[in-house]
Amino acid sequence: MTLRFTFDGHEISCDAGASIAAALTAAGHRAFRETDRQARRGIFCGMGVCQDCLVTIDGRPNQRACMTEAREGLTVQTQVARPPLSPPQPRTLTPRRLTPDVLVVGGGAGGLSAAIEAKKAGADVVLLDERKVPGGQYYKQDADPKRPPLDAQQTEGGALVAAARQAGVQILPQTEVWGAFDGPEIMATGPEEVYAIAPEKLIVATGAYERPAMIPGWTLPGVMTVGAAQTLWRSYRTLPGKRVALFGNGPLVAQVALELAEGGADVVTLAEAAPPAWHRLPAALDMSRRDPALSRKGLNMLAKLRRRGIRPVHHALPDRIRQTDAGLEVTYTAAGRSGTVVADAVCLNYGFQPQNEILRLLGTDMTFDSRFDHLRVTRTGTCETTTPGVYAVGDCCGLGGAPAAMVEGRIAGRAAVGAAPVPADTAELARHRAFQTALWRVYAATLPHPESAAPETHICRCEEVTKADLDAALAEDPTDIGALKRATRVGMGRCQGRYCGPAVAGIMARRSGRPLEDLSFFAPRVPVKPVDIAAITAAEALLEGEGD
Amino acid sequence: MTETDLLVIGGGITGQSAALFAAQAGARVTIVDAQRNAGSHANAGSLHVQMQSRFLRLNPHLADNLESSLPLYLSAVTAWEALDTRLGGVELTREGGLMLAEDEAQLDFLRQKAERETRKGLDVEILDRDELFSLAPWLGEAIAGAELCRNEGKLNPLVANRKMRGALGSLGVEHVHDRITRIEEGSPPTAEGEGATYSAGAILVAAAWGAEALAKPLGLTIGTPPEPLHMNITEAGDYRIRHLVQHAERPITLKQFRSGQVVIGGGWDANLASAESRAPTIRRQSLLGNVALASRIAPGIAGLRVLRTWAGYNTPVDGKATIGPVRNGSRVFLALPGDAGYTLGPITGQAAAALSLGTDPPIDPAPYSPARWRS
Repeated sequence: MTLRFTFDGHEISCDAGASIAAALTAAGHRAFRETDRQARRGIFCGMGVCQDCLVTIDGRPNQRACMTEAREGLTVQTQVARPPLSPPQPRTLTPRRLTPDVLVVGGGAGGLSAAIEAKKAGADVVLLDERKVPGGQYYKQDADPKRPPLDAQQTEGGALVAAARQAGVQILPQTEVWGAFDGPEIMATGPEEVYAIAPEKLIVATGAYERPAMIPGWTLPGVMTVGAAQTLWRSYRTLPGKRVALFGNGPLVAQVALELAEGGADVVTLAEAAPPAWHRLPAALDMSRRDPALSRKGLNMLAKLRRRGIRPVHHALPDRIRQTDAGLEVTYTAAGRSGTVVADAVCLNYGFQPQNEILRLLGTDMTFDSRFDHLRVTRTGTCETTTPGVYAVGDCCGLGGAPAAMVEGRIAGRAAVGAAPVPADTAELARHRAFQTALWRVYAATLPHPESAAPETHICRCEEVTKADLDAALAEDPTDIGALKRATRVGMGRCQGRYCGPAVAGIMARRSGRPLEDLSFFAPRVPVKPVDIAAITAAEALLEGEGD
Repeated sequence: MTETDLLVIGGGITGQSAALFAAQAGARVTIVDAQRNAGSHANAGSLHVQMQSRFLRLNPHLADNLESSLPLYLSAVTAWEALDTRLGGVELTREGGLMLAEDEAQLDFLRQKAERETRKGLDVEILDRDELFSLAPWLGEAIAGAELCRNEGKLNPLVANRKMRGALGSLGVEHVHDRITRIEEGSPPTAEGEGATYSAGAILVAAAWGAEALAKPLGLTIGTPPEPLHMNITEAGDYRIRHLVQHAERPITLKQFRSGQVVIGGGWDANLASAESRAPTIRRQSLLGNVALASRIAPGIAGLRVLRTWAGYNTPVDGKATIGPVRNGSRVFLALPGDAGYTLGPITGQAAAALSLGTDPPIDPAPYSPARWRS
């Protein structure tokens, strides 16, 4: 079914189920909003965290195009930096208080598995997911359930979602968490409701988001994460552009290059920061020993890319991106030689950052993992955190991959409801973790520190804070990351420091010579994501009768 | 042993203002600060002058203290205007403050309050609904009138703090990161820190909630419990809300920065920090109650999302500033604003610094003498 809406007066038509971002991309629109300094922005993360794809929809400003479904007759407009202070159409949300035995936050591999096991053990289980169809970043499901799955990965994900539904897990889709308080108590907004959820046990399975390359031009419309391009294709069958250049580190980059090529894109560059796998034979062999099937899948993928004439460039890093009349021009360095390539879409992925905001708000202990350059949640063998009643599984605890997340979910789901552990799970988890270790030994690459970024590079996308701004503030010797934030506004924007925070934490730690720790990062703050005032107003009704 | 003319304990706006004043007068100044939860670093930039209804409601026994301090509030705004010029602009505006009323009883309360404030020299006026809505058309339907205080305003504390630090740096004021644990009134007076002992011609305590522990051994019993307060900030919108907005009966301050972001606060409580290294944490009741109240007062903000909340320490003391030597002839001085610390910080710091240098203070310090704390 086709539906129509307008964007700045232009008629856009798309399939039912498409996100506004996908529909606009298919129609050739890349720039969705204007910043305070008149720069244009478009899709970047494709998963609701970067807040750069904002549009005004039917007069309500600052709506994320990537998370909003297109509907017939919508009036969509470019988001201006400072919308008028006129009240939008009232939004009615029904306040609901839920007290399930188990609340699972996140419907990816880990969250779905946890929910299924807890439910099978007899618990009353609620699962929240931000997307219309759960599945998470690994199992990315099609927004149109009538389209057949693209491949085995999507089929497998579909089966997991179906299993959760069949088991009787109460799935609340399009529901976004914005608050976490001691108890634990979770506040979230769905399409029609606002929830205060106080479960017996909380299982956090919020996954990860992608780490970009901070280079001049990484904020231009058309430059997005590899995952954002993958979502456009896998969930909405929309290519990010005709000519696509991918720059990154790790197996996802090549996988998405192949998916987009099979979808009809012209992959003009596939640039990997690491050397080829055969340069690291012991690690590659270790990897194939740990998981022969997955390793075979990887080799297969490389063979398919070769057959399409796509040869990855290794030891390659992008230097800058410029908008030219011909398209986005990327200058890069590969094995010491520089090159340029022009594309309609440039996709970046240099690893992952855990989405650990809820856990940080709850005061859960974490330690810094220098191998992946991010925080790792301290957990027991059954995935219980140091916060009573709170479990955490999958990549939100530090990178581990979807197969490990799946097993962790099963372990935590059972443990949370007191069901007996399954010994085979422990062995399987150990195998997946060993595979991941070998995988990242194969893909190990030295990535540039933000300190070496060019002066005009945006370190903070939201507040448009450049490397030069940061250097000026660093010259005044700020005492800690909070002082640097107050001096420059770095991290004060809508993404709440998700991109600049890890970069700045690293800069501060290296300056002081101190190791990174939880306190090195911006202090965790409610809301976890920017929250509609209508949701807060509706939620206020839940306070009645609390006597405090 | 570090030696200096003036050692300022506390690097918030009060201590910085004292340091700036003394350094401009030619003194060698050192600021020593523990760098934990300075109220000034969490402040949202209201310039208060009219008596805050919240303070009166929570502290009826201190109403006289607050009322007698009104001249200090007037001088504080003048001091901020001078600082705005001195620092090269801190986005200070003096477009006035509105205290809103929703019914006749609240308007009556405001009328009585306005009369008392007029007697103290404040420029206040009661506005009926029509007059109010012509000034502030973004207000919600339920608002019946307001008290307008033309002396009030707002500024951007992030800009002010950054520029203040720059100004102090260019005057050669030294910043030391240390926690002072004890002060000795010798000749010269000394301050013992965790890292070093400091000796100075004079010591000025501008440590807000940290002042109680330092003053006790000097014979002053001052209660300075920190009051953790909640704040919220929204996305930017078109700049329309020019006034500092409060309510006659409900705790709220609402204002819009020139950047377009709306800051909502006004005295909703937060949790004390669980450990010294952490910041105070926020309560969901405060987030929900404070923002819901703001959107009823100013429905236009409902199109903006709340980006962030945070909490910071206010130090209300007794609603009246404490400015002067701990005893006659002492070389140890106190500079405690006593509520509304960011508004009163510059005038309090300047006055205490002037006394420590033996020059004429910009205000008569007699009413604010620390003598009232001597047990």
